[in-house]
Amino acid sequence: MLRLEGVRKSFRMPNRGQREVLRGVDALVRKGDAIGILGRNGAGKSTLMRLIAGVDHPTGGRIERGMSISWPLGYGGALHGALSGADNARFVARIYGRPVDWTIGFCEDFAELGRDMHMPVRTYSSGMQSRLALALSLAVDFDCYLVDEMVAAGDSRFASRGREELMARRGRAALIFVSHSEELIRSFCTSAAVLTQGRLFFHEDMDQAFAAYRAL
Amino acid sequence: MSDRPILPEPSLRRALRVQMDVLGALIMRELHTRFGRENLGYLWLFLEPMILAGCVALLHELSGHGLPGGMMAFPFYIISYTPHYLLRAILTRAPTALEANLPLFYHARVRLHDVLLARTLLELAAVLIAMIAFLTGLGIVTGTWPEDPVMVAMGLVMTAVLMHGMGLMVCAATAFGHAAVERVVHPATYLALPLSGAFFMLWWLPEEARQLLWWIPTVHIYEFIREAYFGPIVPYHYDLGYLALWMLVSNVLGLLALRVARPHMEA
Repeated sequence: MLRLEGVRKSFRMPNRGQREVLRGVDALVRKGDAIGILGRNGAGKSTLMRLIAGVDHPTGGRIERGMSISWPLGYGGALHGALSGADNARFVARIYGRPVDWTIGFCEDFAELGRDMHMPVRTYSSGMQSRLALALSLAVDFDCYLVDEMVAAGDSRFASRGREELMARRGRAALIFVSHSEELIRSFCTSAAVLTQGRLFFHEDMDQAFAAYRAL
Repeated sequence: MSDRPILPEPSLRRALRVQMDVLGALIMRELHTRFGRENLGYLWLFLEPMILAGCVALLHELSGHGLPGGMMAFPFYIISYTPHYLLRAILTRAPTALEANLPLFYHARVRLHDVLLARTLLELAAVLIAMIAFLTGLGIVTGTWPEDPVMVAMGLVMTAVLMHGMGLMVCAATAFGHAAVERVVHPATYLALPLSGAFFMLWWLPEEARQLLWWIPTVHIYEFIREAYFGPIVPYHYDLGYLALWMLVSNVLGLLALRVARPHMEA
């Protein structure tokens, strides 16, 4: 279970005081939920994902994490550029208490990096980075996956593999999915919420959510 | 695939296990990123403090003027410079704990304090190894061994604990602006060197100066380490209770400051 209560986040602007991006977000996410988050550019979707992942901390309210939560997938942000792919895998395996050799093997297979697995991640293309990041998150086997406008992960063949793997985890894991694509959200998610004016509005019905989103 | 759930029943034991997993992983990672696997690699960890402390001590030894009370110059400066190296390593790295480790904070279970703690432990290990190597070498060459080697090591541990607390506060202060804090900390560690007690002893000084300098916590650590090395050949002035209070207060305040500052620090 993941619970957000009155979560607020403001940023200090250079010379211009504060800008409040989130103004009291409430949410309850259980295992098996698959929620699409809709919102215009700059509505705070990525900020919300970063708070849920624990990358940044809220300036108000609480986030209660009763399950393990992935980093926002779709970026290489969780990877360390100076370390090799294998060392990154070692690190992630260690912090989440996963068998190290198994994790490296899984990533080698899944991300199809071959010898590049032993090269520093900063030499990777962005496609290779997101493949590795996705492979790592699958190896950890999180209870809740955060997917931020991804599945631009690598070429289309890999993107569909990534989608398949996440689909296969629906039901036992939760999924929070940020995208502008109506098609992706409809195929992935069971409900949707609209983020606007710093608050999150949930809709049980997909059509209703999209109507609210288009009316923004 | 491993069947071990990531979040089984919440308990103190589980929290401790996670903490140990995270700390171990952070230390390994810091070793990899800072020293790589090429050339001398990890050796630099303790070669760096050894070279610096060795050069400083050698310069003083060669300059030829002895120390009051018949203390040997070379070991005196070795056991003085090494804690100072530790102090500087912890404090000057504290402002970059967040910025230099952004990818780490994509993992919810890695907290800023874990990163700072991993670094402190690593720096402490480095100076302990450097100190052991020096004192062993010195013992073999000159035949003089530390009076109480365990207490010499304890002195370094106390330096690490005190500086860890100070480092937490320095790191928290970066919420107000990272560049400013870095600009202040670097010169401050140099300017504070003459007052820190690294290069003087209280009994060399007149009573008034002694009373003023007594308030500086690091002075107590240096005096303690010297007694541990040289034994009772000169008078030493330190108060472990006073030092313990500093260690406790700095760490408690540092943790609180970090907690308050963290929402205003963006990874």
